[in-house]
Amino acid sequence: MENIRNFSIIAHIDHGKSTLADRFIQTCEGLTDREMQEQVLDSMDLERERGITIKAQSVTLNYQADDGTTYLLNMIDTPGHVDFSYEVSRSLAACEGALLVVDAAQGVEAQSVANCLTAIDQNLEVLPVLNKIDLPSAEPARVKKEIEEIIGLDTGQTIEVSAKNGTGVKQLLEQMVRVFPPPKGREDAPLRALIIDSWFDNYLGVVSLVRIMDGELPVRKKMRVMSTGRDHEVTEVGVFTPKRTPRQRLRTGEVGYVVASIKEIDGVPVGDTLTLAEQPATEPLPGFRTIQPRVFAGLYTVDSSDYESFREALGKLRLNDAALHYEPETSQALGFGFRCGFLGMLHMEIIQERLEREYDLNLIITAPTVVYEVLTTAGETLYVDNPANLPERDKISELREPVVQADILVPQDYLGNVITLCIEKRGRQKRMQYLGNQVSLAFELPMNEIVLDFFDRLKSVSRGYASFDYHFLRYQAANLVKLDVLINSEKVDALSSIVHSDHIQRYGHALTAKIKEFIPRQMFEVAIQAAVGSKIVARTTVKALRKNVTAKCYGGDITRKRKLLEKQKAGKKRMKQFGSVEIPQEAFMAILHVGKD
Amino acid sequence: MLKFHEALPLSLYIHLPWCVKKCPYCDFNSHAASGEPLPEAEYVAALVRDLEFALAQIWGRRITSIFIGGGTPSLFSGAAINELLAALHARLNFNPAIEITLEANPGTTDSEHFHGYYAAGVNRLSIGVQSFNDDHLRALGRIHDAAAARRAIDAASAAGFDNINLDLMFGLPGQTTESAIRDLEIAIECAPQHISWYQLTIEPNTAFYSRPPALPDEDRVCEMQEYGQVLLAQHGYEHYEVSAYATTGRRCRHNLNYWEFGDYLGIGAGAHSKLTDAGSHCVRRHARHRMPLSYLQLAGTDAAVVSGQTLSKADLVLEFMLNALRLVHGFAPDLFTQRCGIPLEEISVPLGEAQARQLLERDINKIIPTARGRRYLNDLIACFMQDQETAV
Repeated sequence: MENIRNFSIIAHIDHGKSTLADRFIQTCEGLTDREMQEQVLDSMDLERERGITIKAQSVTLNYQADDGTTYLLNMIDTPGHVDFSYEVSRSLAACEGALLVVDAAQGVEAQSVANCLTAIDQNLEVLPVLNKIDLPSAEPARVKKEIEEIIGLDTGQTIEVSAKNGTGVKQLLEQMVRVFPPPKGREDAPLRALIIDSWFDNYLGVVSLVRIMDGELPVRKKMRVMSTGRDHEVTEVGVFTPKRTPRQRLRTGEVGYVVASIKEIDGVPVGDTLTLAEQPATEPLPGFRTIQPRVFAGLYTVDSSDYESFREALGKLRLNDAALHYEPETSQALGFGFRCGFLGMLHMEIIQERLEREYDLNLIITAPTVVYEVLTTAGETLYVDNPANLPERDKISELREPVVQADILVPQDYLGNVITLCIEKRGRQKRMQYLGNQVSLAFELPMNEIVLDFFDRLKSVSRGYASFDYHFLRYQAANLVKLDVLINSEKVDALSSIVHSDHIQRYGHALTAKIKEFIPRQMFEVAIQAAVGSKIVARTTVKALRKNVTAKCYGGDITRKRKLLEKQKAGKKRMKQFGSVEIPQEAFMAILHVGKD
Repeated sequence: MLKFHEALPLSLYIHLPWCVKKCPYCDFNSHAASGEPLPEAEYVAALVRDLEFALAQIWGRRITSIFIGGGTPSLFSGAAINELLAALHARLNFNPAIEITLEANPGTTDSEHFHGYYAAGVNRLSIGVQSFNDDHLRALGRIHDAAAARRAIDAASAAGFDNINLDLMFGLPGQTTESAIRDLEIAIECAPQHISWYQLTIEPNTAFYSRPPALPDEDRVCEMQEYGQVLLAQHGYEHYEVSAYATTGRRCRHNLNYWEFGDYLGIGAGAHSKLTDAGSHCVRRHARHRMPLSYLQLAGTDAAVVSGQTLSKADLVLEFMLNALRLVHGFAPDLFTQRCGIPLEEISVPLGEAQARQLLERDINKIIPTARGRRYLNDLIACFMQDQETAV
């Protein structure tokens, strides 16, 4: 156990975490050069395409240190996006140390600050390191000063590396085995293993990533899931090197995987404790705090016969994504579907893409919304996660919206732009502090203003330099109304939204104009209206198509004409028939595009 | 099982694939002639071999029409056409009232050509005028001007042709409603028996597709069409198909056979066939090799036939509708059963849907697109398209 080092890497997107992880693997010869794909740790297609890490992954490496000792390094990967801070705290629970990777040119970013504070909170040894030292724009002295001022870490021993060309990687590994403490735990106590992550494999069933806190987990023994009391025979344990490598047992302090031929997808909940059936532990481990989703949207299949496979797919995703919530809902416009809760917009997009890609589903997603607190005239308090379910106006005594504190770090040059943006989003400034070249800002903002496009807007007004993190503060009364959308005079419940009353006119016009862009011209005119109660606040129309005729068709070319028609028809497959109007999937997300151009 | 109670009418299509140059809007199988003399005699010989190879498939059936299309068939001499038609006549059973059409380009024809074609037995000419405006002709990449078009029409009449079609386009790059109508007026002054007046559409795999010209907007094009249809009707040209207008008794029988979903044998490079085999209860499509030189080598053998496909019930329904619903006056319910071998009841659901959407009307004698159905013909036809899932 003395020679085990469990650690995570904390870094902002693009600060080079995955490249550094790859370099560690190479240095410790976890993979041959031939096997070395770029950024092996990001194994989902989606992650590689987007260049970000979504799910925690682990790699076990043997590191031969200069003092002759061989250390077992367990590296647990963490996501770098603001939506996934919950996953970060899960990964950190399995570690004694954390490496804070900071881009030597970009400096400290808000998300890293938040994750770093979580790590310090969880009593981890945090070791800062500067990456991308090979860049001509690197300013190590300035960035070190930022680390000291903003996070309060000493940078006297901080190593400067280039994960890209390998500079400093060896020295860093030496420093890590010296600084990070070995795991603690009672080797002779009954087994207690923390489930860090679980996922479903079509061949193996449920695979869980665990950290052994006490005792050991041997293969072919019966293990017990402590929350359910169910026993399962362990069919395989092992580590990722990063190849899946079976072992006879996992020992105290180690991080590895467990397979027990479990087919039910909720059989091994993340955060639960595993013990052995023959000698069970008495107390489970503390586990993780449960996470509240902040953004809700309705998800529907375009083809209603896919409903059952959709339900199954959500179940499988939920297994290793505790933050994904879902429950059945019905929409007049869209039929049967699920109201799903997400951590944020990126989380939502990723879930959508995974459902469409991995489960081959064709989905319609309604505009995302936050959860509102409603005090009814009857004195009840309701939580509304779907605008269509908002009670009538005369039944509402007070409507409250969630307010968050946003902590923003921005270089001085873009301070004005960022403040303007926050004020446009109904923000109230709480704090401003100059730290070296950067300014740290705190704003209170209504959450519904930031979930939609705040992150993108912040990036664009600061040329990508501003970063932010947010946390929920409270519910606060606000002057909000429900804005309905009517298509050819019929209300489409899935297009309703809750809007601040000062913005109704502007927003109603922008929304109807956006929906218009997405609805193709059809045989008849389509009227799009935005209304508050019975009052129409905006109106626009999609002109009827003048005609839809193929001018020329003679014998020989019939196959080509046919293909053309079939293509036209296929284009309509992603549309939902609503009355006689065909509404494409994108129109239901029009709300996201309001105000973008 | 498909059931065919009577033989379908049969037409013959002959493809001559060469052009002086390829027009930027054309997606037909045409190849610019490379300056050397065309292998006329070899090609006619290949066509005859090809026909002999196909004879077994149409044995004993009477030919109601022949269409010699291209490419530019008028690049061929009267003598070559004469030899071709004589060879066909010797091997096939012609209906006494057979219609034999040849496509002519005003840029390649003179009085001698027309006399030759007429003497060979061609009794209908389709002249590719496209426009009488020299600016538009240039924009379309045509090899002739308006004066040449008028000379060609006069020469054709002088040679004895009394059944002439003019091909004309509208919605051309830079065209105004006035100039589109002016084109039609000049065409009507020439007094052809038939006018094919169709909207320019940009097809994939054409020069216009890769470098799209600026076309008039949709509203303008519809205006041209509305004015043009009134003008054609006033001068006795009856609108009988999406883009076809004819004086009394002069509808194009060859094209009508396509639209009424009759059978046709296509010979020549890239020619398509659709043939019903009542004995084996199936309908097949096939095509000949597209490249002229390969065709010359392969014609008369299996290898010249490059693709073959037996049509499913769903294919037949869709393809029948794709053609028959183009007819302004619709079709008799019996025609569907006769041409597809399928009882009408099997399509009562889509027929009902099309009626409910006011795209189609029907009574005991006729199934006929409404004015709305003609305007949104593709939507009407799509009613008869089966979803991929249900078709499997």
